[in-house]
Amino acid sequence: METNLLLITLLVLGPILFGVSMLTGLRGYARSVMVVASALLVMVSAGLLAASGVREITLPSLVTEVGSFLEPAMILAMLAIGLRIRSWPVRLMAGVQLALCLAGLFLHRAPHPEETRLIIDHLSIILVLIVSVIGGLITLYALGYMASHEHHAPATAAPTSRFFFFLVAFLGLMNGLVLVDNMKWLSLFWEGTTLCSFFLIGHDGTDDAKASARKAITLNALGGLAMSLAGFLAAWNIGSESLSTVMGAGGIALLPLALLALAAMIKSAQLPFQSWLLGAMVAPTPVSALLHSSTMVKAGSYLILRMAPAMADSALGTTVAVAGAFTFAAASALAIGQSNGKKVLAYSTIANLGLIATCAGIHTPIAFAAALTILIYHALSKALLFLCVGTIEQTIGSRHIEDMGGILFKMPLTTNIAIIGMASMMMPPFGMLIGKWMAIESAVHQPLVLFLVIAGSALTIFFWAKWLGRITTASYHDTYKIETVSPWMSGVLVTMGAGVLVTCLSAMPLYHAIIKPISLTVFGQVSAGESLTLLDSVDQFLSWPLFVILGAIVLAGITSLLFFKHSQIRLPFLCGENVPDGDFSFEFRSLADKKDRALLNSYYLSPIFGESTITAWCNPVAALIILTLFGVLFL
Amino acid sequence: MIPLNPAIEIALLIVLAPLIGALLAGMDRKLTARAQGRIGPPILQPFFDTVKLLRKSPIVVNRMQIMYAYLHLAFMILALVLLVRGQDSLMFLFIFAFSTLSLVLGGMCVRSPYSRIGSQREIMLMVAYEPILILLMIGLYLANGSFLLGATLATGKPLLLSLPLLFIAFLVVVAIKLQKSPFDIATSHHAHQELVKGLTIEYSGPYLAILEIAHFYETTLLFFLIMMFWVTNLWIALALACASFFLMTVVDNAFARLTSIWTFRFMWTGALLLALTNILWFYL
Repeated sequence: METNLLLITLLVLGPILFGVSMLTGLRGYARSVMVVASALLVMVSAGLLAASGVREITLPSLVTEVGSFLEPAMILAMLAIGLRIRSWPVRLMAGVQLALCLAGLFLHRAPHPEETRLIIDHLSIILVLIVSVIGGLITLYALGYMASHEHHAPATAAPTSRFFFFLVAFLGLMNGLVLVDNMKWLSLFWEGTTLCSFFLIGHDGTDDAKASARKAITLNALGGLAMSLAGFLAAWNIGSESLSTVMGAGGIALLPLALLALAAMIKSAQLPFQSWLLGAMVAPTPVSALLHSSTMVKAGSYLILRMAPAMADSALGTTVAVAGAFTFAAASALAIGQSNGKKVLAYSTIANLGLIATCAGIHTPIAFAAALTILIYHALSKALLFLCVGTIEQTIGSRHIEDMGGILFKMPLTTNIAIIGMASMMMPPFGMLIGKWMAIESAVHQPLVLFLVIAGSALTIFFWAKWLGRITTASYHDTYKIETVSPWMSGVLVTMGAGVLVTCLSAMPLYHAIIKPISLTVFGQVSAGESLTLLDSVDQFLSWPLFVILGAIVLAGITSLLFFKHSQIRLPFLCGENVPDGDFSFEFRSLADKKDRALLNSYYLSPIFGESTITAWCNPVAALIILTLFGVLFL
Repeated sequence: MIPLNPAIEIALLIVLAPLIGALLAGMDRKLTARAQGRIGPPILQPFFDTVKLLRKSPIVVNRMQIMYAYLHLAFMILALVLLVRGQDSLMFLFIFAFSTLSLVLGGMCVRSPYSRIGSQREIMLMVAYEPILILLMIGLYLANGSFLLGATLATGKPLLLSLPLLFIAFLVVVAIKLQKSPFDIATSHHAHQELVKGLTIEYSGPYLAILEIAHFYETTLLFFLIMMFWVTNLWIALALACASFFLMTVVDNAFARLTSIWTFRFMWTGALLLALTNILWFYL
């Protein structure tokens, strides 16, 4: 058997089997060993797969047959959930999906079923690496997190073994999703990730968790239905269920492609489908980090990027670009009005996924490079930030940004790593900013998209600055505390923090060594033009003189920190005599010598950026853009 | 321009830029004083002030403040170097913006309401003017076919002719960045701020001097950015920049301070429409 095939089997089936072993009720030490083993397995296999290079593997038609029988089984599971949670929309959509699937199975079965192809190209390798490396680390973090979560979780919570089953098996499903070309298998894995998401969101079993899980499955069932419909139409009209064949089929394939784009947009929570991702934040932190920020939502981005060549230069591509850019601007505005840290991260995730969709819709070499850059760096930074918020929440008991003042003293390790994570989202010349830079450059010929991207970028500054300012707020202390977190959690935080720091500092060399060559291979060296010039101009940006100047001055700063003396500390000016009280130095004598506290929250500007204010008009606009997605097909 | 070894050019720039900025600030104070019927401080007063600050003993509220002050200065110098070396315009903007962001964070990291309100307002201002600056760079690209700041020199066509509306919008941004009324909301050169000194209130001594020096760099940077609109002829460029700075002083003395939310609304409607209209010409 070919080594690649073995690696892929390990990547897909490995985690699923490990997941099943969790269900046998392993506890404590044994469970940790199994989780570590599965994480190591996927990380190593993904690394080997990446090293073995680009290729296609054709599997015998038997695999296709297995896929077409497993798909109805997965839909039946969905239907069962619809029955259990008494949700008519889920039952209805799963029912229609089942009918489509069976009709496809019996109505027009080709005499020789198609072979299933596995596509190992740059895009899928990048996603496999993201899923396996980041995902693997998050499952390790979950070991520490769940040990503590078990103690204070509500009595309604599902068993932790079930939690680990879905968390670990998810890695396999996701790896499968990004490697297969056959739409039956794609749909199978797609539904599988939806189911994982449903059970993991509902893990705590509280009313809140149940409602959120219900919302997630309802919306994602719509996405699954769109995907099944696309598969059915493709088989009916084009006679093939291979995604790459469908993409090459020209005008006749536009409707299936539009349906797939819809499925992708629901999965990556683009407006107006964002509500399920926001609800998903009730899940335990490793779930938010793994499924709802760094990997599962990237399945949507992956599918759009995969289809991008077929949508390029068509009204479909333009509409996807507009929809993405609109989501970027609106979600960035929505994030400003939020004081719940996890929600800010969720909106920022939605915004960045929108930006990836924009780049996919534009589909030029520079846009493709931008999309890849954002895809990679966003997954890294966002996973790290979610884990930090989770750790902070377990310690201070709140996920509200305004409660995070002073954590620099209370939990210096986590906070410093969170600072690295936030800096990586907005500091030049780090990865995310290079991505945004290229995204703006690639939108330069589409005024509407350009304006939305610019507006979104400006708004982004607001919520990051507020948050970063809040977590670095601290009174002076002579010594730092040493925080106590589970070694699993601190170990993963340190590893990921170091990873983010290294990849961000080397963002320009990485662009030169990886992103640009990939974009050039995908588009071909010969297709010279404006976009290629832009690609080069990014490359020509010399980042090392920048680091020299920066390094010199930052060194000066560190030197002045070293010579820093306690006697140089004063209390802040509060327009009244300060009341020294040890830790908190923001009490002062106000009128009649009364002790008063000076407290100040950041601006959230809810009359302008409040959730209900913005969604009230953004959701209808976004819905109209989605309608346009289909409208343009019938012009 | 005289071709110089890049290293020497950068070194000269780093030494001379704050001096130019300080002189501009001195002239601004003199003009303001004369307009108000006062004699005013000597033109070199900003130098004296800064030197005096540098010689004071350092006093801070916490350690983060120090780091943010240095980051503010570092990124400001970097932005200026990128501008003068004609590097990529968007990267220049990001670095320029991060410099201001460091200042904001330095103001936010202390438990002082004045400083924190000042910081919040400064973020509002950033969000208000950032789209105009990005649109300016887009305009630069559409006019020159390159995102390099140095490209205008190569084409030989003055930017002002193709970007007149953007220039007006940009002047408003300059007024905000120079902390001129009606936009001196976050902190002010004048003593009539209800936030005492706002954003920078908790900085003193040498660390305040660092912020002052960074502001001198910033002033020079804005001066050069205005010159960029007619960079093909040095004298016209100088005249344009001087006239614009004179206008800033007049505006500063003629207006009362407004609120940050007003500035945000004004920038995202009036100024943005002006800039967008200018950009749309290129697509027709």
